[in-house]
Amino acid sequence: MDLIRNFCIIAHIDHGKSTLADRLLETTGTITERELKTAQVLDDMDLEQERGITIKLHAIQMKYKHTDGETYTLNLIDTPGHVDFSYEVSRSLNACEGAILVVDATQGIEAQTISNLYLAVEAGLEIIPVINKVDLQSAMVDQVSQGIMELIGCKKEEIIPVSAKEGTGVPDVLRAVVERVPPPVGDPNAPLQALIFDSVYDTYRGAVVYCRVMQGTMKQGDEIKFFSNKKEFEVEEVGILHMKKIKTGELTAGDVGFMIAGVKDVGDTNVGDTITHVKGAAEKPLPGYKEVKPMVFSGIYPTTSDDFEDLREALSKLRLNDSAINYVPESSAALGFGFRCGFLGLLHMEIVQERLEREFDLSIITTVPNVEYLVYLKNSGEEVIVDNPSDMPDPAEIDYIVEPYIKAQIITPSDYMGNIMKLCMDRRGEYINTTYLDPTRADVEFELPLAEIIFDFYDKLKSVSRGYASFDYNFHENRQTDLVKLDILLNGEPVDALSSIVHRTKAYEWGRRLCRKLKDLIPRQMYEVIIQAAIGNKVIARDVVKALRKNVTAKCYGGDISRKRKLLEKQKEGKKRMKQVGTIEVPQEAFLAVLSIDD
Amino acid sequence: MPHLYIHIPFCETKCIYCDFYSVESTDEKGRFLEALLWELEERAGEAGDTVFESVFLGGGTPSLLDAGQMERLMNTLRKHYRITPDAEVTTEANPGTTSLEKLRAYRELGINRISFGVQSFHDDDLKFLSRIHTADEARESIANAHEAGFDNINLDLMFSLPGQTPQRWKANLEEARQLETKHISCYSLTVENGTALATMVRNRAVTMPPNESDALLFERTMSTMAEWGFRQYEISNYALPGYECRHNLGYWRLADYLGFGPSAHGTWNEHRRWNVSNLRSYIEACERKELPIAGGEYLTREMRQEEFIYLRLRSEGINSIEYEARFGSDFYTDRGAQLQPLLAGELLIDREGTIKLSEKGILFADEICTRLA
Repeated sequence: MDLIRNFCIIAHIDHGKSTLADRLLETTGTITERELKTAQVLDDMDLEQERGITIKLHAIQMKYKHTDGETYTLNLIDTPGHVDFSYEVSRSLNACEGAILVVDATQGIEAQTISNLYLAVEAGLEIIPVINKVDLQSAMVDQVSQGIMELIGCKKEEIIPVSAKEGTGVPDVLRAVVERVPPPVGDPNAPLQALIFDSVYDTYRGAVVYCRVMQGTMKQGDEIKFFSNKKEFEVEEVGILHMKKIKTGELTAGDVGFMIAGVKDVGDTNVGDTITHVKGAAEKPLPGYKEVKPMVFSGIYPTTSDDFEDLREALSKLRLNDSAINYVPESSAALGFGFRCGFLGLLHMEIVQERLEREFDLSIITTVPNVEYLVYLKNSGEEVIVDNPSDMPDPAEIDYIVEPYIKAQIITPSDYMGNIMKLCMDRRGEYINTTYLDPTRADVEFELPLAEIIFDFYDKLKSVSRGYASFDYNFHENRQTDLVKLDILLNGEPVDALSSIVHRTKAYEWGRRLCRKLKDLIPRQMYEVIIQAAIGNKVIARDVVKALRKNVTAKCYGGDISRKRKLLEKQKEGKKRMKQVGTIEVPQEAFLAVLSIDD
Repeated sequence: MPHLYIHIPFCETKCIYCDFYSVESTDEKGRFLEALLWELEERAGEAGDTVFESVFLGGGTPSLLDAGQMERLMNTLRKHYRITPDAEVTTEANPGTTSLEKLRAYRELGINRISFGVQSFHDDDLKFLSRIHTADEARESIANAHEAGFDNINLDLMFSLPGQTPQRWKANLEEARQLETKHISCYSLTVENGTALATMVRNRAVTMPPNESDALLFERTMSTMAEWGFRQYEISNYALPGYECRHNLGYWRLADYLGFGPSAHGTWNEHRRWNVSNLRSYIEACERKELPIAGGEYLTREMRQEEFIYLRLRSEGINSIEYEARFGSDFYTDRGAQLQPLLAGELLIDREGTIKLSEKGILFADEICTRLA
């Protein structure tokens, strides 16, 4: 056990985590340069590579011959790099004893650097600070080193300068992992406690569980159970993770590896859960397990109603690998049959949408995302959970509503403090605190309603800070606020899929802008379209799309016929992508109109 | 009976709105004519014994052909194609390219219908449209045509020009009527991709009239022409009884036609085929003794149904008996779901088995075609 080191790499997005991981694999001979090709090994989904975000966790084992002559087993556990997945990050960190903290020498400390660092410190990890991209001209090694020293209270000599791209400094990192990260502790003969830090679905084998054995030993053929759901299985296979899975027959305290036990549903193998034996079970699970709860909700509808079953099939396939997706069928008067889906966050939502379109070739309409509200009723005192604005009870029956708030951490050059304050205030934020990381960079804390950041907040933040500010958040608490349901009516008929829940003080402005935006998006058609925004029975904003008076091609002779027919076919296709609301044709973009409203 | 179309791709200057294929130089006119005559001769076999009921010389500006060139063209046509003696033979003509002498010669060669691209009787409109002629030249050309013995004369006129008032437009119609033309085509000025006009609109050098005033002029045109006894037998075409253009009716009735010259289309036995839209490639292909074909398509039943529906809706209406004879299925069964709301919304009317655009429906012909076809 003394020859094992379990560690991870934490970094802000694009600070070079994946490149450094690749270099470690290459330097230890785990993978050849040729195998590495251009791809970064730890991100193997297209989407992850494009976004530069590791969405799903993986782990890999390396053999490293140290200067003391011993060969060490190094387990690198990868962590997802986005705020939506902070719980999963925390579980991965708990599987380690050390973390390499990578900071970009040209960018310095960012919001995610700090939030991940806090998680690592909380998990009691040994931190190895690494400053990356030191080869670049724009590297500010001294300044960034200073920031790191202040942040984690280390000495300058402890920070390892690296260029992951060039490979310089990488052997120093490996040395530091062996010398500074403590070996795992645990008793191979104690009752089994293995921490699940990920699971993926394999069509032939069912769930493949990635775990770290904290105590005891898990062997092939063992009867095991999961603490959270008490479900029991027989271990079919255990082993370690190189470039592929290698069977070993057992995993013992300190080991990181995989386990397959014929689990059909990845929903049974929850990240953070503890595996133990059926007989001689551990008394308690490992601490820190939470059920992952979706925070952001949106309706997903097929563009053509015929595709409903295909959409259901696609969602069920996605869920096999991503148990964080929640979906239940719902129907909308405007959009027909679809699903109300729950996501960990906005990025997670975007990824799911994109995968549905790309991997399953579906054309879908997504409604405006919203958070989950708790509505308390006057008479019964009953609590109603509302994750779809159109389900909001009648205002007369509502006693009060609470909505989720987050704690946001924003790191910004101090020049943009004013802009950022204004942005957060506009979003109903409550200022908490500012700490200066150095004279030019501030760490600003705000409490904000989650509903106010789930669309365009991040883009706005980037634009008011010329791209320099970074942002991270955690769920904070539920708060009572003055919310109203804003309905949109087209020719007097409410369109359920366009309803939203907004703060009363913002309703008028919001309604006005939404009407104007819809006016731009709904094309002129044969009949006039009256757009109204209303709270209850009270109309607060109105706009009109004037009726088209004429739509006729002037000429159609011998040479025009083919072209005209093709145009007609294209227009027919276009019509299919419109949603019919009464006699009105509403383009899909209209259902996301709220997302693109400019200030 | 099928039809023949011949494309003469020369123009003295290209008009800002026009997207037909033409070139602004007449340098290659001689070489082009040889190429065209070769194509006519070479493809004679396609027609076999077929008797044609119309010939249409379009462009471009066919009236740029002098009398001798026109004679060779008509002779070649008659030598290789069986054209019925009472055929309608039309040439398009630009005022300003038509002397009395030339028109007399054309008439003698058997051309019996002439279609003038007048567009407007206001010089500032003509200037805006970059036409080469003046209003007076147009008046003179029409008088010449009458004198040369043309009875069947069409004028093309254009409405919805920027700044055009209903009064000015009406004046154009009145003048056309006074000049005793039997057929008037009234086109709403359309901004076609790739034209100079499109660039001007994009650069905001020109602002097109709003949809409302375009609709108003169209409505006024229809009522005025009806009042004068002209029948609107297609969206943009009005004729006194018996003067409907047989050639164009052919297109709208889905008759077969052969097309010759650059960019010309033809439809024959459910195949459509078109020539290259480039004068040089056209000439060079013909000189190599190769047919200057650019592309073609087989018209599936579905495609033919779509074309039938939109071409018929724009003209005489869809006759359900003819539909059944052509496609072997019942129109009301094939399109019932789409038809119902359009009838209910009074956009279409059903007169004893013929489905036509209603007065209101004419203004939305494209929309209705998209829903029904």
